[in-house]
Amino acid sequence: MSEALISNIQGYSIHDGPGIRTTVFVQGCPLRCRWCANPENLSRSPKTGFLSRLCRSCGTCLTACSKGAVLPGPRRIDREKCDNCGDCVKVCDTGALVQYGSFMEAGDVFEQVKKDDMFYRASGGGVTVSGGEPFMWPEFLEELFSLCRGAGIHTCVETCACVSPDSIRALIPLTDMFYCDLKIMDPELHREQTGADNALILENARLLAAESSVVCFRKPLIPGVNDCMEDISATSSFLKELGVPRLELMPYHRAGKTKYEALDMSYATGELSPLSPAEAEETGKLYISYGIKCTVSR
Amino acid sequence: MSTVRKDLLEKIDRLELSPRNRAWRAAMKAAGWRVSPDRERWTVKSWKETEGEDLEIRRAKLLACILDNLTIAIQPYDEIVGRPTPWVIGCQTSFDVCGDYIPGIWNDSGDFAATLDASVHIDAEGLEILRESARLFRVKTMPEMTYKAWEALVGSWEKDAEAAKLKDPSLDSAITGQSTSVLHWDKILKVGLRGYIEQCRQHIEAARTAMETDIRKIYFWEASIICLEAVIRHANRYADLAESLAAASTESEEREHYLRIAATCRRVPEHPASSLREALQSMQFCNLAKMLENPIQNNAHWGRGDQYLYPYFIKDIDSGVPLEDEASLLADLIGRWGTQTFVSSGSQKESHQINFGINNVMVGGMGADGKDRSNELSYLFLHLVSLLHLSSPTVGLRWNSQTPEWLMNKAIRTNLATKGGIPLFENDDAVTASFVRDGIPYEEAVEWCGLGCVYPTVPSRSEHYGAEGVAAFNLAGILHMTLHNGRDINGKQTGLATGEGRDYKDFESLYAAFLTQHRYLCHRVLWLGAVARDMGHEYLRLPLLSILGIDASMDLGQDLMFPHPDYSLFGISDRAIIDVADSLTALKKLVFESGALTMEQIMDALDSNFAGAEGERIRRLCMNQPKYGNDDPEADSLVRRISQDSAAIIHSFDNSPFPQHIISREGLAWHYYGGLGAGALPNGRKALEPLNDGSLSPMRGMDTKGPTAVLRSACSSCFSDVAYASVLNQKFSSSVAASPDSVDKLIAYTNAFMSAGGTHIQYNLLDTEQLKEAKSNPGDYSDLIVRIGGFSAYFVQLSPEIQDDVIYRSEFEL
Repeated sequence: MSEALISNIQGYSIHDGPGIRTTVFVQGCPLRCRWCANPENLSRSPKTGFLSRLCRSCGTCLTACSKGAVLPGPRRIDREKCDNCGDCVKVCDTGALVQYGSFMEAGDVFEQVKKDDMFYRASGGGVTVSGGEPFMWPEFLEELFSLCRGAGIHTCVETCACVSPDSIRALIPLTDMFYCDLKIMDPELHREQTGADNALILENARLLAAESSVVCFRKPLIPGVNDCMEDISATSSFLKELGVPRLELMPYHRAGKTKYEALDMSYATGELSPLSPAEAEETGKLYISYGIKCTVSR
Repeated sequence: MSTVRKDLLEKIDRLELSPRNRAWRAAMKAAGWRVSPDRERWTVKSWKETEGEDLEIRRAKLLACILDNLTIAIQPYDEIVGRPTPWVIGCQTSFDVCGDYIPGIWNDSGDFAATLDASVHIDAEGLEILRESARLFRVKTMPEMTYKAWEALVGSWEKDAEAAKLKDPSLDSAITGQSTSVLHWDKILKVGLRGYIEQCRQHIEAARTAMETDIRKIYFWEASIICLEAVIRHANRYADLAESLAAASTESEEREHYLRIAATCRRVPEHPASSLREALQSMQFCNLAKMLENPIQNNAHWGRGDQYLYPYFIKDIDSGVPLEDEASLLADLIGRWGTQTFVSSGSQKESHQINFGINNVMVGGMGADGKDRSNELSYLFLHLVSLLHLSSPTVGLRWNSQTPEWLMNKAIRTNLATKGGIPLFENDDAVTASFVRDGIPYEEAVEWCGLGCVYPTVPSRSEHYGAEGVAAFNLAGILHMTLHNGRDINGKQTGLATGEGRDYKDFESLYAAFLTQHRYLCHRVLWLGAVARDMGHEYLRLPLLSILGIDASMDLGQDLMFPHPDYSLFGISDRAIIDVADSLTALKKLVFESGALTMEQIMDALDSNFAGAEGERIRRLCMNQPKYGNDDPEADSLVRRISQDSAAIIHSFDNSPFPQHIISREGLAWHYYGGLGAGALPNGRKALEPLNDGSLSPMRGMDTKGPTAVLRSACSSCFSDVAYASVLNQKFSSSVAASPDSVDKLIAYTNAFMSAGGTHIQYNLLDTEQLKEAKSNPGDYSDLIVRIGGFSAYFVQLSPEIQDDVIYRSEFEL
């Protein structure tokens, strides 16, 4: 059995595909998008976080660490010394110290997913693997989706597409639906904002458009980054070229900020104000004017 | 209904409250609470005049005297007329039923508490009228005489059990004299009160012919005639008043309005109703009279309002009556019944925490032909309730496998509009099957409806739920006694001496002691209830409620204060099962399995209410044990075990010749009250804090595996094998139903739960205000998940600034 590093398995997910779904969040991502809402899912190893507002200063964690990495102050974790072993999390009763990520086998994840089968059947739902980047764990994905297929559970994967085309190709027969992000069309800007080139992403987008059964392209809408006419026009042309003139906009929000703080990571777009759905609708209308069936996600 | 008129549903969706409804609502909100001495004035007069007559006749004449003399008024915004006082909000008192039950009247200021948080003022003259009635009736009423009987049997034990919140209600509280509160609307509307009077006359004639020797029957029919004639006269007083108002009107529209009211009051409730206006007006007069017969039991239940009213509604629509007019009439009565007030007493104040009489309407559901009966009126009820925005009525949807999608869709949208809870969903198939299992024929069982908050009942039977002072039974208090050698929260030896908590050596002996305490307390309480049941008729009769509420009363010639084995149901509610199960699971894991703690340590921590660092450490250990609501087989199996054992204890009480007790585990606001009956518990709850809400809701903040896991746990509890209402409350941010797509998903979610055997669910869709509350009280909301596509977090983990973002989103989405 193959494993993946799982940060959360969330029941009653209603924004990640058709019907009522269970979303499996995996850790590890090839990109470093400046606006990322799930920073705990960037690394391929478990991470210890500290949510200061839940701390009651009981002091139990101070003696639990054998590396001397727990500090008494508001910055609880000495990141130089911490190896993210999670010993301090085990003694924390208030939920202030949290461990992001535990390794789970595909079979065990399937057992959890299967429990909500009655809700999938009633709603046309299923499982969505999200992240992070699911294709960081290609064998796990294949095993999980094979098991789901065997049980008649609808399968969906959310990918940034900055992954090997072979791994995508291998998963296509097992996947009912793909979400594929098209973050920025300009290669230079893409490199600057996400740390990677977009050539591979566009190649995979073509692959998915041509060979997958259902693909839904998404774009995180980041004010000042990709809400400009250049990107709108280029994205629209690209989607039309693919023969999939549909796009779902995901308005920028900063709900992940707390997690950045918990992990002592800096949040590049943390001071950016969140977009209201109304502002996003305005951009959506521009896409519609380019002939793209555009929806704004909540 | 396969032929629902979609165009009518669309028109209903566009309806707003009528100008009259809006004027009423403004007047109601502006009005202060008032208590009237009027009923007591006529009660005292009548009671003095009828001394020496039979009790049944005296009670009937008392009601007639009130109905003939009570001050009445018609307000300009009234579509329907008839109120207990001339004011928009006002209540009458009932010393004749409860005795000297309002301590505040002996305070010379004239100010006293009507409910937990509503104060009233009465002038000196009014105060003296109330006091005279209290002096006349005190120490002679049914609750007072019953308490004397109980004392003769068990000394102070019963009062001790009440004081320890082990059982409620107290007998002097509002439920005294309760029998079914759902009048037999279908028959009332079809035959009219004149038809009832004729039937009573025929029975009297036939009894004479047959040389009947039981004079109580003759008195009952005669008393019924006295009451029914008085209700008809009362309606005609309103007709006279409306005519005089019409004569004084200068505008023709206003004059026509009063003349319409007059004509309606001349016709109903004496004669069968022929339109929705007449049907609703007839219902209001009957309900008003029922309330004046016994104001403390004032609940005005609709039952299946969308069924018996449908023929009148659809006939009106077909003959061209505007939908707006029909809606205005129905909204008037919903609002009137939802704002009926009363002076609560005894445990009612604390245990229910309500200001208005509880009333209930059930929409949808099966008919006797096995087909779903949802109709356009079901839809209109939901729509009007969401427009009125009142805490009452409780609205339930009888969910079954045939419930149409259009009604479910409206139901979820009504939940969103009302921020949740309206309507709640009850499993129609499961409730009907439970009644059939308990011996009620299918044709009667399928007509079940709600009583009070969510308690299901069958309108053809007289319901004694709580009437004998045994409605709710506090299992958390029993666990407290089990851990303290039978001593209750007040330190009294109310239970048996089964041993001190610190001496238990294994789980099974602890569990056995819990069941021993349960059986002892339960059987004593049910025994005293049976004593109350058998003596109540000596002190109280309710002829009007009997004749209009229970069809069988007519043929039997019997007041329902003499319960009849074939037409009576007895209910009880064993509550706090989840608190007890989580507590016992924690003890099992921590003490008897892992040995992480000793019973000594736990008891020290409980008795000190988890004080100090050590207490807090133990509390945290307790909190971190497996909890119900996470689909954890170990935690859930103990819930199932307690549910079944508790039911077996209740059912082992011999209630013959009456049917065994029906178990209904509903809660409303009881968890605050019940919490006062238990010290610190091993589930981590501190002393006197509220217990878990509902009957199947997980411990607050302890359902960490998401809402679907809660539903799986609820299904595995198998409460419906032994009990009726099994209330599960679920919290969501209101965005969970903000888009058409997400409404569909919540419908599917509800359908899936019910199909899997869930019995009851109600949603709490948190609005902006409540999210703000979650921000300041994270402990109570630690299970609230923020749902944004591709993002996951618990709300309480977020920093204040980000919580504000989420609140902003929810505002926008509404």
